[in-house]
Amino acid sequence: MILELKHLKKYYATQKAVDDISFSVERGSIFGLLGPNGAGKTTLLRMITGIFYPDSGEIIFDGKTFNPLKDIEHIGYMPEERGLYKKMKIGEQALYLAQLKGLGKADANRMLKEWFEKLEMESWWNKKVEDLSKGMQQKLQFVTTVLHRPKLVILDEPFSGLDPVNSNVIKDEIFNLAKGGSTIIFSTHRMEQVEEICDHIVLVNKGQKILDGTVKEVKQQFKENLFQVGLNEAPAENTNAIFEVVGRQRDKTLVVKINEGYTSNDVLNHFLQSGRSIHSFNEILPSLNDIFINLVEGTPTARQFQTVTA
Amino acid sequence: MNKTWLIIQREYLTRVRKKTFIIATILFPLLYMALIFGSGYLASKGTKKLRVAIIDSSGLFDKALVSAANSTDSSSYLEYVTGNGASVQANYVSLGYDGFVVIADTAKWDKGLNDVKLITDKTYGLSAVQGVENKLNGIWDKVKSNKLGIDDTKKAIMDNSRINLTGENEKDKTANAAVASGIGYLCGFLIYFILLIYGSQVMMGVMEEKTNRIAEVMVSSIRPFQLMLGKIVGISMVALTQFFLWILFIFIIYNVTKSTGGSNDMISGMLGGVQKVFGSINIPLIIFCFAFYLLGGFFFYSSLYAAIGSAVNEDMREAQSLSLPVTMLVIFSIAMMTTAISDPTGKVAFWASIIPFSSPIVMMARIPFGVPGTVPYWQLALSMGLLVLGFLFTTWFAGKIYRTGILMYGKKPSWKEMTKWAFRKN
Repeated sequence: MILELKHLKKYYATQKAVDDISFSVERGSIFGLLGPNGAGKTTLLRMITGIFYPDSGEIIFDGKTFNPLKDIEHIGYMPEERGLYKKMKIGEQALYLAQLKGLGKADANRMLKEWFEKLEMESWWNKKVEDLSKGMQQKLQFVTTVLHRPKLVILDEPFSGLDPVNSNVIKDEIFNLAKGGSTIIFSTHRMEQVEEICDHIVLVNKGQKILDGTVKEVKQQFKENLFQVGLNEAPAENTNAIFEVVGRQRDKTLVVKINEGYTSNDVLNHFLQSGRSIHSFNEILPSLNDIFINLVEGTPTARQFQTVTA
Repeated sequence: MNKTWLIIQREYLTRVRKKTFIIATILFPLLYMALIFGSGYLASKGTKKLRVAIIDSSGLFDKALVSAANSTDSSSYLEYVTGNGASVQANYVSLGYDGFVVIADTAKWDKGLNDVKLITDKTYGLSAVQGVENKLNGIWDKVKSNKLGIDDTKKAIMDNSRINLTGENEKDKTANAAVASGIGYLCGFLIYFILLIYGSQVMMGVMEEKTNRIAEVMVSSIRPFQLMLGKIVGISMVALTQFFLWILFIFIIYNVTKSTGGSNDMISGMLGGVQKVFGSINIPLIIFCFAFYLLGGFFFYSSLYAAIGSAVNEDMREAQSLSLPVTMLVIFSIAMMTTAISDPTGKVAFWASIIPFSSPIVMMARIPFGVPGTVPYWQLALSMGLLVLGFLFTTWFAGKIYRTGILMYGKKPSWKEMTKWAFRKN
């Protein structure tokens, strides 16, 4: 485990931003931290990056109690609210940020040149940040976040404002980093990206953890026993002991929900016995998006302020 | 500490490399000198040396009389014109005269010469016109004496009987006090300008970091306090650089004028004055104290400005209304300084130069009057010690506000709210 959080709490005057959250992040994994706006994600990340101290609870980083002063050199954090010095030259700025992460000037220079070459940014070196588009700034920020080869990379909405081409470039680099042994914590609202990238997810809402598991596990946990069956001829009946037809598509494809106590094999048997030929049969798993909406729905979209007594 | 050093370097270099810094460094002393000499010039303008054409149609005056008068009385310059009086009247300005006087051809030496007009194109002070009047009267007296046959011997006898009266202050310490007041004002106002100008630079710098959204990126690499301290120290080094550049300029200008302008009466007179000033005060002590109070005062105020910058959002008006109380303290110090200079050992001078918020300006204005004569060593030490304690406190206080404020968006700040931030647990 690269990171373990134990019963972290952070209360503000008007709300419990983080209310007793525990989870752990495996080394080399890509970890998704999800949650609606105001769920407490940013506060959580700020505690992991040493910007805030937790009111109570413990953070274990790389096997030892987290020491913000020393350990932040092994963390790369790209916050959601991010920016650069507008009037500073890009090369100079990247060097400056790298040195603040503890890299020597010569090392930083060499590594930056490599990254700039890899991401086709060489011509930017002597330009000013104000000359860059938002997407270009994002790319530069990504480079400065991961340049010092941090053990833990924390990316808050890393794709916002990027075009599909650059999104893919960054996505590939994220996979490369994970392959190279870095752990990535990835915070976003965009569920399709999470499904594509993350191994493990945690969902927080109103300062509490409401879901924790691998993407596969979570989908299994929330599956509704729905199967899609493609047949040469659709049956007329809608219900029987084994399943219920919940949807029909024009090309004789049914969506069935298996009743409790039966398995997918029972469904297949039923159709085989009825003499129809089966073209396709596959399970419909819920998308993370559906799970997210299901879990978060019913709680007010905008978080209400509450009085904290603690 | 190494990282704070990086911040200091960046803050210093980005500012010193800017064209505006170089321009300001050169222009500010010029403007400052223009202000000082300009007001001095304006003050002396009341007794301006007028250049007046005497257009005599009566033939009573003559060139010799006028030039004799010029050589005895230089408060104005008169020139005797006979021939082309009309063209002089028409073109006196382009001929270099400030004005002209017409002596009508009807004038008689034994009759009064009343209602003579000095025609000018500007309005001159009463004393300047009176100078010309006196001089004309002198010449008119001569004209009458000549007609009456009073020769130089008789005239000398009359002149001998004149009584000379000059003023003398028995408690004469004017020279020294004037120099000390001058240096005091200079130091006080310099610190005042630097505090306000560079203090607002700190505030703008912090606001820039906040509105550019780089603050959170930065504080994930270094402690917020280091970031704030680095900025303050970096900018204070810029102020100090500017100060030493000015001293260097003065030194160079002084030496260049000394080596080249020795023959010129005016310049050597000025040099003598400067030497007299330098001789009567303790230059190294003043430079040391100036640097100390500049830095101390700067740390004291700029950390407050940094706290304000961290608390406000993009709105400049918010920043202005929050910084008004701090700016008022600086301006109030200047008011105290004026009192302190007119009475450098008084109660106001003492307290204002001990209490940290006004001591950088007021103590710096008192020091030229003499240490330990006017300012005893214990007062200087107390004032310096309290200033150090003062800026340690404001930096700590500001650091607490800064840490919360820099990451807080969209909240309208107030001093009450900020104080709450400062005194809450971690």
